[in-house]
Amino acid sequence: MASDVKGLLPADLGQLVNECNVLVVGAGGIGCELLKNLVVFGLKNVHIIDLDTIEVSNLNRQFLFRREHVGRPKSIVAKESALLFNPKVCITAYHDSITESKFDVNFYKQFNVVLNALDNRTARSHVNRMCLAAKIPLVESGTAGYKGNVSFHMQGISECYDCTTKPHQKTFPGCTIRNTPSEPIHCIVWAKHLFNQLFGISDPDEDVSPDSSDPEAVGDAGKIALEESNDTNGQVKEKVSTRQWAQSHEYDAQKLFQKLFHDDIKYLLSMENLWQKRKPPTPLDWNDLPDVIAGSSSIDQQTVTALKDQRVWSMQECSQVFKQSINQLKEKLENEKDLIWDKDDDPAMDFVTACSNVRAHVFGIQQKSRFDTKSMAGNIIPAIASTNAIVAGLIVTMACKVLKKDYYKCNTIFVMPRPTAVKKDLFPLDQIVGPNPKCYVCAEKPEIIVKMDLEKMTVRILGDKVLKTELCMIAPDVEIDDGQGTILISSEEGETDDIADKLLKNFIKDGTRLKCDDFLQNYQINITVAAMVDEEDEKDREKSGILFEIIGDRTQLNAKEQVAEGKKTDDQEQPSTSKKANPVHDDEDDLMIIEPTTVSEVQVAGTKRRLDETEEDTPSKKRKVESETSEVIDID
Amino acid sequence: MFGLLPLSTMMGFKMMVSASPSPRSPEITEKTKKYDRQLRLWGDHGQSRLEKSHVCLINSSATGTEILKSLVLPGVGSFTIVDGYKVTQEDIGINFFLDQDSLGKSRAEYTTKLLLELNTDVNGEAIEEHPEMLLKQNPNFFNHFSVVIGCQLDEKTLVTISQVLWESQVPFVYVNCIGFLGWVRVQVNELAIIESHPDSTIQDLRLDVPFPELIAYMDALTINSREVAQKTPWLVLLFKAIQKFSTPSTGDSMDTTGCHPCHMKSQEKQEFKKYLKQYLCEVGLKDTDEEFDEVVKAANSALSPSMINSNVQALLDDPKSTKPEKTKFWVMCGALREFVANNGQLPVRGVLPDMMADSDRYINLQSVYREKASKDAEDILGRSQQLLKQAGLQGLTIVEEDVKLFCKECQNLRLIRGYPMYEEINSVPVEILQELAQNTEDSDQEMMYYLLLRGLLRFQGDYHTYPGLLDRDVEPDINRFKGTFTKLLNDWNATISAKEDCIHELCRYGACELPSVAAFIGGCAAQEVIKIITKQYVPLDNTFIYNAMQSTSSSFKMTRANS
Repeated sequence: MASDVKGLLPADLGQLVNECNVLVVGAGGIGCELLKNLVVFGLKNVHIIDLDTIEVSNLNRQFLFRREHVGRPKSIVAKESALLFNPKVCITAYHDSITESKFDVNFYKQFNVVLNALDNRTARSHVNRMCLAAKIPLVESGTAGYKGNVSFHMQGISECYDCTTKPHQKTFPGCTIRNTPSEPIHCIVWAKHLFNQLFGISDPDEDVSPDSSDPEAVGDAGKIALEESNDTNGQVKEKVSTRQWAQSHEYDAQKLFQKLFHDDIKYLLSMENLWQKRKPPTPLDWNDLPDVIAGSSSIDQQTVTALKDQRVWSMQECSQVFKQSINQLKEKLENEKDLIWDKDDDPAMDFVTACSNVRAHVFGIQQKSRFDTKSMAGNIIPAIASTNAIVAGLIVTMACKVLKKDYYKCNTIFVMPRPTAVKKDLFPLDQIVGPNPKCYVCAEKPEIIVKMDLEKMTVRILGDKVLKTELCMIAPDVEIDDGQGTILISSEEGETDDIADKLLKNFIKDGTRLKCDDFLQNYQINITVAAMVDEEDEKDREKSGILFEIIGDRTQLNAKEQVAEGKKTDDQEQPSTSKKANPVHDDEDDLMIIEPTTVSEVQVAGTKRRLDETEEDTPSKKRKVESETSEVIDID
Repeated sequence: MFGLLPLSTMMGFKMMVSASPSPRSPEITEKTKKYDRQLRLWGDHGQSRLEKSHVCLINSSATGTEILKSLVLPGVGSFTIVDGYKVTQEDIGINFFLDQDSLGKSRAEYTTKLLLELNTDVNGEAIEEHPEMLLKQNPNFFNHFSVVIGCQLDEKTLVTISQVLWESQVPFVYVNCIGFLGWVRVQVNELAIIESHPDSTIQDLRLDVPFPELIAYMDALTINSREVAQKTPWLVLLFKAIQKFSTPSTGDSMDTTGCHPCHMKSQEKQEFKKYLKQYLCEVGLKDTDEEFDEVVKAANSALSPSMINSNVQALLDDPKSTKPEKTKFWVMCGALREFVANNGQLPVRGVLPDMMADSDRYINLQSVYREKASKDAEDILGRSQQLLKQAGLQGLTIVEEDVKLFCKECQNLRLIRGYPMYEEINSVPVEILQELAQNTEDSDQEMMYYLLLRGLLRFQGDYHTYPGLLDRDVEPDINRFKGTFTKLLNDWNATISAKEDCIHELCRYGACELPSVAAFIGGCAAQEVIKIITKQYVPLDNTFIYNAMQSTSSSFKMTRANS
């Protein structure tokens, strides 16, 4: 260990390293490298937590894992492997989710610094809040291909993780997915939903059948078609789940194909309004499949060298893969209650590739190879060992500064592949960035305004999509600020189930204030409801169909309205009528990279004076924290 | 069965385009799965190059081991460690891979064994010997490696190795980590990069210089209704608008400059865009149509001139293009030179952006570009083969696949010409000294550290030890180092001096590698090695200095001084 090598570390740092207690969140690409660095640096106490188990695709970089470890918990194996090299370290491993309530503020308080090596925004946001609440410094990191970044977050000194808006997970309106896809990704999302409907846990938000309530499809055409089909088949589509339908036909590939790519498409065609301005889809017949590939530019078909994985399949091939994968999945289903879609599971990936490509063909959309489909469906970020090593090296360097309390030297660092114009390979910001006073997380009294469609949104959607997905809360409690303390959402299981599916208009109106609280995160935020009411909004929504919109403070609301008054901006996401948006889940590796575009907006970090101010703390936050025995490091 | 099958064998499966996909062979699945996340960065051809490569590491220090770790994991073909040292207590302290049992054993053998555990696809061998001794026994020892990485080299050995590798044209990556400083130096004689992976590629649409087949195709199309216009790719609408705009005889043209919209300045482009909107209305589109917006939006990036950038022009002007040497790259550059001389343009790329359109119409348009690209590639292939014959370069074959990739990437070709390190070490760093003399601010700290690192090399040469090496009083060493460094600066006629605190810090760490610096520099060096082996992305050219104290870095190019 480096701290054992005499004279290597300055005496003061050597002692800090020996005595400190560190939490590493994530034992993946960065986590493995980081654990190695910490162990070799001579830290005596390291805690590491990860929910995941080891997969084959981890082995190209997560060097603490071997082929024989596949399927075992990452955190446990990482600990075992690290101990082989240095048995003297005390490593505590948790195979668990960091958002579990047992990892409360108290848990965090035992650490001198928390090092994030995570792969998703929700967990990053959560750890950020826990560190704010526990007043523990946090080092955040990420990599993507040859790029990476490392940043420092500490209450009152620097910006928190949520101070800057993060790129949102791309979502697609339900009606685009179900009725009017126009890009390959729409077909891929649809195919993943179809998988869940057929073999997995079906989510009503992931319906794949044509949506006759699409406001664009006004008129009776759709209904007529529906009635006709009821007459002939004697079944009501809405009432038979896709899975039941498939089961009743014993997952017969041909029948499924016929329903999905012929009958449903014919039904869509009957909604004539949809196709007035769009190119109508062409139903496909199982017995008469064309052997052409719809307009694709990314694959050079003349290059015969492309692997099957990297080549676009013809409709013939798609139908064969469709059949084969359904049979394999059906077999699996005999032993398991529900299948969970996994991009690394071959039949599951084959199924999505085949279905998305057939649908793309039907709608005249560019087809994608299995390799590319996997990238998009799994939201895969390229990852290599060397970049993780670079970033993990930077994290330890920054952690040392944190231990020495040299907080103002902890500038955010970006690792960039060598650009030709600029000679720097690392882009450290000149100064650390101070907290954003309007941050919806670390501001003294976080406030936001959310525009909501009270006529269409249910209480459940408010909880799931606004509070959990967008605001990254884990177990929110919501109280209406009406002087009576009416509870709208409770984190206690079952307590507010009876009203969960009722429309919001029954409880709140324009201007209502909602007090939202996540006890575990020690996070409170007030939401002011802005109802989507006026004519302009109504019309706009018909087209865009957005159920809610998160707006920062009042000033931003005004700014947004001005934009809305003008024409819709060019890059605005199109449609969405039914229900809500469908997120593409980001479930792989290490990154949420923030490009250094905000450099010009850097605010000068707080001064010493400001630091003292924040030391006093807000009363509301103290409530839950004060009783703890404090191992918090003193900011001074 | 675990994927021991080399990727080249897997190529056999590529031709299997059977209608009913038989279950994939487990070897393929296992291997593609394992390397999935990196294949998305450098593709299967990059992977294949990596798997065919043989890397040599001189001295398996902590940093050296880190570098190999990041090469073994992604599946480098094989590695050789040349290291004459035994494992010391200090090695164990800073190298994660060494444990107490390794004390006193061969460092080469021990690290090789542990690195091999990381990936069963990789072969590795240990040679317990100092590199100079190896060279004495076999002067050609290093000649067959894909890349040689050198760590913990003293000045004399560095000069020897650098010269040997330069003469045998083997790429060399020199790495030095001392305390909080890191130094990476890439030495390549000449490196041609076909796939440079630029952040953005300019669309190659030839709107300003349409080829005859494109004109013929466009002329054959008539757009006479809204319905047809909606199904027509935006490129066609844009092309026709330009055509009409540039032909004053139609009467309604606003063009007076005679300038093609692709070559217009932004203000004039606005004029054209006005015209474009007018044209779109004429053919029946409504300004509320999605297709209308799409054409107008696409015009922004599509209206760029077809030209040859300076990197590519330099290649065409290179003497090696005129008289190609025996490499595929230069023969193809020679062919490209002739092609450009005849046609005035680079070969057509044949890749179109996605467009909202009826599939048939899109595919037809796409095949016009593709066929032209094919034809151009064929032309280059013919010229390449002709050049091979003329130059009597037997034994070198250029196939269609080579030419296709070359043509597709010909906008992005890059060439790096190196400067040997042995010359650098034996000459005055004139440019650095000038830079520092002009710029006294802290902004060039890394350049000052470069000089100090050179001073350390010299010190090590003089005293056979590093200043402040463990268990010794630092003070006398600081003075000795100051002496060495001052003399070095005097030799160089330099007017600058180093800051006291820099020297103190440097001496305090001795020759020790800090684990976090080793991890960082190890990762950086590994990336450069991968870029060199895969011949993708542009590698460091040629010096990188990292300062862990400030978390800053700088890369610059050391060149042969003119004086």
